[in-house]
This record gives sequence, C-alpha cells and structure tokens, in this order.
Amino acid sequence: MSLKPKVVEFFEVWPRLRGIAESVITLRKVERAIWNTSFSDVYTLCVAQPEPMADRLYNETKEFLESHVQVMLTRKVLEDTREDQKDNKATSDLLQRYYTTWMEYSQGIKYLHQLYIYLNQQHIKKQKITDTESFYGNLSSDAAEQMEIGELGLDIWRVYMVEFLASELVRHILEGIAVDRASNGTLDWHRVQTINGVIHSFVEVQDYKKTGSLKLYQDLFEAPMLEASGAYYTNEANKLLQRCTVSEYMQEVIKILECESKRAKKFLHVSSLAKLRKQCEEKFINDRLGFIYSECREMVSEERRQDLRNMYIVLKPIPDNLKAELIQTFLEHIKNEGLETVNALKGENIHIAFVENMLKVHQKYQELIAAVFENDSLFLSALDKACASVINRRPSERQPCRSAEYVAKYCDTLLKKSKTCEAEIDQKLTNNITIFKYIEDKDVYQKFYSRLLAKRLIHEQSQSMDAEEGMINRLKQACGYEFTNKLHRMFTDISVSADLNNKFNNHLKDAGIDLGINLSIKVLQAGAWPLGSTQVIPFAVPQEFEKSIKMFEDYYHNLFSGRKLTWLHHMCHGELKLSHLKKSYIVTMQTYQMAVMLLFETCDSLSCREIQNTLQLNDETFQKHMQPMIESKLLNASSENLTGETRIELNMDYTNKRTKFKISSALQKETPQEVEHTINSVDEDRKLFLQAAIVRIMKSRKVLKHNALIQEVLSLPKVSFTPNIAMIKKCVESLIDKQYIERTANSGDEYSYMA
Amino acid sequence: MADDPENSVDKPDDNDAGKPEKMFTLKKWNAVAMWSWDVECDICAICRVQVMDSCLRCQAENKRDVLGRQDCVVVWGECNHSFHHCCMSLWVKQNNRCPLCQQEWSIQRMGK
Ligand SMILES: [Zn+2]
Ligand SMILES: [Zn+2]
Ligand SMILES: [Zn+2]
Repeated sequence: MSLKPKVVEFFEVWPRLRGIAESVITLRKVERAIWNTSFSDVYTLCVAQPEPMADRLYNETKEFLESHVQVMLTRKVLEDTREDQKDNKATSDLLQRYYTTWMEYSQGIKYLHQLYIYLNQQHIKKQKITDTESFYGNLSSDAAEQMEIGELGLDIWRVYMVEFLASELVRHILEGIAVDRASNGTLDWHRVQTINGVIHSFVEVQDYKKTGSLKLYQDLFEAPMLEASGAYYTNEANKLLQRCTVSEYMQEVIKILECESKRAKKFLHVSSLAKLRKQCEEKFINDRLGFIYSECREMVSEERRQDLRNMYIVLKPIPDNLKAELIQTFLEHIKNEGLETVNALKGENIHIAFVENMLKVHQKYQELIAAVFENDSLFLSALDKACASVINRRPSERQPCRSAEYVAKYCDTLLKKSKTCEAEIDQKLTNNITIFKYIEDKDVYQKFYSRLLAKRLIHEQSQSMDAEEGMINRLKQACGYEFTNKLHRMFTDISVSADLNNKFNNHLKDAGIDLGINLSIKVLQAGAWPLGSTQVIPFAVPQEFEKSIKMFEDYYHNLFSGRKLTWLHHMCHGELKLSHLKKSYIVTMQTYQMAVMLLFETCDSLSCREIQNTLQLNDETFQKHMQPMIESKLLNASSENLTGETRIELNMDYTNKRTKFKISSALQKETPQEVEHTINSVDEDRKLFLQAAIVRIMKSRKVLKHNALIQEVLSLPKVSFTPNIAMIKKCVESLIDKQYIERTANSGDEYSYMA
Repeated sequence: MADDPENSVDKPDDNDAGKPEKMFTLKKWNAVAMWSWDVECDICAICRVQVMDSCLRCQAENKRDVLGRQDCVVVWGECNHSFHHCCMSLWVKQNNRCPLCQQEWSIQRMGK
C-alpha cells in the first residue's frame, strides 16, 4: 500500500468500502487481503488530494450504520424469522432476538472501529485536540460532534434500537425476573443469560462516556425494576404476615434477603445490588418493625438465642435509632438479672458473692453478645450501662452504695494468705478489674482498698508481695498514677523499713550492744496510711521494752531531722517465752498482752483494776486484750465478767501439746465505725482534690468567669468521682479565704489567680 | 486459741543455765511506729493543708521524688512555728515575718 496521498474519486472507493463494512459488522468472514485493502481505502480517503475526504467518509459511514441498525430492528428483532419458533415455548422471544442481534452488532462494531482506525486516530482524535485548543475557531459544529466509529455505532444503536424498544424490553425483563422469583430461582440458565445480557447492553451502549454512563440504564431499567420489586416485596411481606409467627417471619425474611441478593447478582448491573437490597430491607423490615418487635420482650427474657440472632441479622442493616427497642429491652433484661443476683445477698461473705455473681452476669452476656450480636458495640455498651446501673445503685436514698467496699474486700480476700494457687488468684484479680471499672465512686473503693492493704502490710498477711504489686499496677493502669500514689507510698514505707531494720541491727552489732530481743520495726509515714483515728492510746510501756525503743529512737533521729516517732502499740505484737510451767512455751501475742504477762514476774495475783492502773490502759483496750488471755487459759480469772475486783492469776497447771502458739485476737475484725469513718474521709479528700484542681486551672488561666471555671472543673478527666457543683462552689470559697484566688474588681462572678 | 501447725514439735528449750531464769522473756517484738514532722500544729497556716501532705501548690503540680513521696518538706522558724517550706519561701518574698507571730522570719531548721 502506498502512503503517498493521491487524487481519488470518492464514489470509486466508497461502494467497495461500504460492502466490506457490511461484512465486518455482520461478522462475515473477510479475507486478510481484502481487510488490508479496505484499511488503506480509509487511509486514502482521509488523506486524499486536493481535499481530504474524511468528513465525507464519516457522514457516509454514519448513514450506513443508521440504516443497518434500522434494518436489523425490523428484520431481526421485531419480526420473528427463526425457524425453530414452534419448539420454543417462550412467547417473549423479543428478548432473545434483541440479545442475539446485540451480541452480533456489539462485536461487529468493535471490528469496524478497528477498520477505521486511521480515521479514528488521525482525523477524529486530532479534531478533538484542536477543539480543546480552539485553534481553528471556525470548525463547523457538525465536525465538532464527530465521534470515533465505535462510539458512533453504539450511539446509533441507542437511538434506533434501545429507545425504540425500551418499554417492551423492560416489560419482558421484569416478567422474566418475576418468573425466576416465582420458581425459586430455577429459571433456565440460557434465559438468565439472555436477560442478563439485555440488561447489561443498556450499560455497555453508554460505556464509552466518561460521565453519566449509567444514566440510560438507571432511567430506562433500574427505576422501574426497583419499583416493581418493591411492590412484589410488599405483597410477599403481606402474605408472610398472614401465616407466620414473628420467629418464622424473621427466618423467612433472612432467606428472602439471601435469595434476592443472589438474584440481583444473577441479573443486574453491580451498581444496582445495594439499591435492591435496600428496597428489600425497606419492605420486609423497616415497614414491619411493629410486627418484628411484637415479641421482643419474650424473646429477650427467655433468651431465645436463635430468635435473637435472627432479629439481630434482620435489624442490623437498619438505622441505629430503629434498633433502640431491642437494645433497651436487652439492657433492662441484664439489669434485672444483675439486680436479682445481688439484691438478696446476705452474710459475712457478701462481698465475694457480690463480685462473683456480677462477674457471672457480665461474662454470660458478654458471651451472648459475641455469639448472637457479633460483638456489636451498641450491645456492648448496653451491657456496660446495665452493669454500671446495677453496681452503682443505692439500696435507698439514705443508704450509700456499698459496691466499692465489696469489691475492695473481695481483693483483700484474694490477696490474703490462703491455699488458693497463685495463677487462680491472678486470674480472679484480673476479672475483678472488670467489675471495678463500673464503679463510679472509685475514691471510695480506694479508701477501702488502702485500709485493707494497710492491714495486710502491717500484719504481714499478704500471700505474696508480687501479687500485691500486680494489683496496684492494674489499678494504676485503670485509673492513673494519682489513684495509686498513696498505695505506692505505703509499699515504699515497708521496703524502706526493712532496709532501716538491717541498718539498725548492723549499727547495734558495731556498737557491741545486744538487746536480747529480735526486733523488727515498721516506720510508716503519717498521712499515707489510712489508720483510722491515730489518737494515741495511753499505755505505760513496761521497762522491758524501753531500752529497745530508746536505742531505735536515738538511731532514727540521728538519721532524720525534724521528725517525731509515735509508737502504735495497738498494732504491735511479739513473742514471749514462758518459763513458769513444766515445759517452756513461746507464745505470740499483742504488746498489751505481753505487758500483762510481764506483771506476773513479781507477783502471783493481781486485780483487774491493779493491772489497768499499772499499764494505764483504758477500759476498751483492757477488755479487748484481757478476754483472749483468759480464754487461752494462760491466766485464770476469779469471775466470768472482768470487773475491777476480779482477781487474775497465772494458771500454773497450763499445758499445751504445742510449744509455740499464738493468742488469737479479735483485733483484725473491722468495726462498723471503721466503715463509717472510711466513707466520711472520702468527702474530705474530694474537697482537697477539687481545690488542687481549681488552683491548677486558675494558675494557667489567670482570670476566669465563675461558670467557665465550673465547666473546666467538670470537664476534667474523670478519675475517681463525679464532682457536684455545690462542692466546687465551697472549694472556690475556701480558696478565696486562703487567698489563692480573689474576685476581680470589675465583676462579682470572675476570679483571678493570686501568685 | 489457734495452734500454729508449723511449730508443734515438743522439744526441750535451750536454757541459759548460767543466768537466774526469768519467768517471762521477750524473744521477739514486731513494732509499728509512725513518723510525722515534729510540729506544734500539724496544719500549715499558709495553705491550710496538713504538713504531712504536700502543700496545695505541690499537689496541683504533682511534684514528687522517685520514691513517689511528694517532695515538700517542713521548715521551722526561730519562733518555732512551722510551715511547708514551699509555702514559706513564697510568703517571705512579700513579707519577711512569720504569719503567726509577726516575728522576723529566720529559719531554725528544715525537715529531712
Ligand atoms: Zn503550706
Ligand atoms: Zn510544696
Ligand atoms: Zn512565729
């Protein structure tokens, strides 16, 4: 083929080219040589001398395609020319004919596009470029609208075929889909493929467009399809309602949703799947919520898992606010069960039952939410709300909520020496944090926890220091450093004391002093330890202790300055060796009890009054410590009730098969006063916390309006309690008194920070 | 009475034959003592917080040393009145007198 432009006569070339074009577009076989000739014919016309004939070629080709499509419409699509017509039961063969024709044409136009590649690329593309550059401003508008041959062919198909047949085609398609629905999706494969092909032709015919390529499909087909489907769904839902229980209805709906989504994939363009799904949900679910919810209460209260699972599946796609009824019912159900399980609790181990019962409820519903509700956050937060409301509920307006106390005591039980294995304790402590997190008054918990920790540390009752530290770290993780600060300080005191004892003993050794007694002293910092009232109980310390006390005090004051030591004798205990009996014994007892025994070194019999006066013990302390001594039978009393006149003497006949034992004491039992004291001290701490917070805020803001200050305090990260406004106001007043802040001169409700 | 299961073997005790035997001998003493600043009034007159606790400013700033103790010691004047050291050092910048007795302020000792 020659590339050189030459003079040609259009009518000499075109009829030949047209004939080949017809063969190409009808998919007839075209010899390679003929194809090549036609290919160069296109070229020759486009570059013809003296004038290129590209526009003329384009117009002639357009006319040819228009008439070709119209002929196909009448001969192949509208008119049934198939010979096997009698064998085909389907009456709507319009679809089949359209589809076959489309398959041929859509393929043929692609080939034709190839044949016209020179026109497409050199003439039309170039024209497009120059269009955008607006270089040739006088180009005819006709020429500007020219399309590549492939696109032109599709557009002609749209105009003469699709738009002409649209309503008929759609009617037949919808019938086809209806048949598939009626036959449970058993429409034969060939038919499905035809319908699918016809539907997709609406998209393909516009595929070349950069924008709005789905518009034809949507206007022509999708909208009526959605409408028809909606009507079908409504009708189906009505039928189901006639014969189904709620439980059955939900099962059916789930099945239908699944079938419809399969059906959509089978027939529709992918862009319609979500829309049809939405339509289906709308008609079967949103429109029928009243019915679906009608047995919600029973399903939840009887925990009918399969029904709940189905209800979840059915409700999942709809907006959250429409699920509220299920969630609220579920929440109430958990709450009721929680209240039931903790309300009836009584007795000494109420704290254990409280935590473990609540944990059971929590675990049960956590498991249920995972199994039935796919760990949906809406349901998890309902569980949280339910648990929090049970745990923080006050038994009545006047009574405080005791959960914080119970949870702290539960920890105490676990951390005390016991035979439970460490792994189990560890697991239980971790679980316990689950319940702890729901407590609103975390500072109340902290008070109880620190008091119980103090007892464990002082009386050396901890199972293991590792477990203690592990628990404090868990609390720190949950509530931050501030929360566990005092607990850490207590811990530090114990380890500092151990160190101090070593140093003290070395000091004694170096000085060659033998106290003749194994001494171990814990020095606690006042303020960090919640020791209840720290009033010193009067006590005349027996001289046997005096040397030890003096040596230690001297040593201590030498080490630290400005400190004073107060001996907490009611917390001290020791071992006393008894040598007055046939065998000798070593007995562990309280310091006061040791002091009583020591009095009998020099006399055989004393009245209670004499003992009390010598030791300067108050009545309460005396009774509390004397009773166990009598019960142990180490001492005999002349009367059962200990009055001033009761005579006490050593029991010289005492025997015990053990040579080492201890006198039990009721000391470590807590009194109701202790509990009350603990609760009251929480208020004081809250005020101090708020004052510190206000100082911090005012220091950074310098000047702040009253309401703004209150807002800032309320928006502080909630650590351990929710402050109330009255308390904040009181704290502001007291900070004004203490001259941390002052009212500004220009306004009564504005404060400024005083440096 | 509770028996200690760990130490129940019945065996003769080792008596120091030399000394005259006492009927009761202290073998072991586990004592508990509490330390606090040796002050007449345990509330700081400047910030109205217990001197054993950190002053209000230190609490607000969360100052503390590595052991977790808040690093806020007590200071005594020659007049024997005592305050948080932090509170007093701010106070003397404005008025070099003891807030309680109006004597000229001079430090007698500091807590450690
Ligand atoms: Zn102060
Ligand atoms: Zn300070
Ligand atoms: Zn003074």
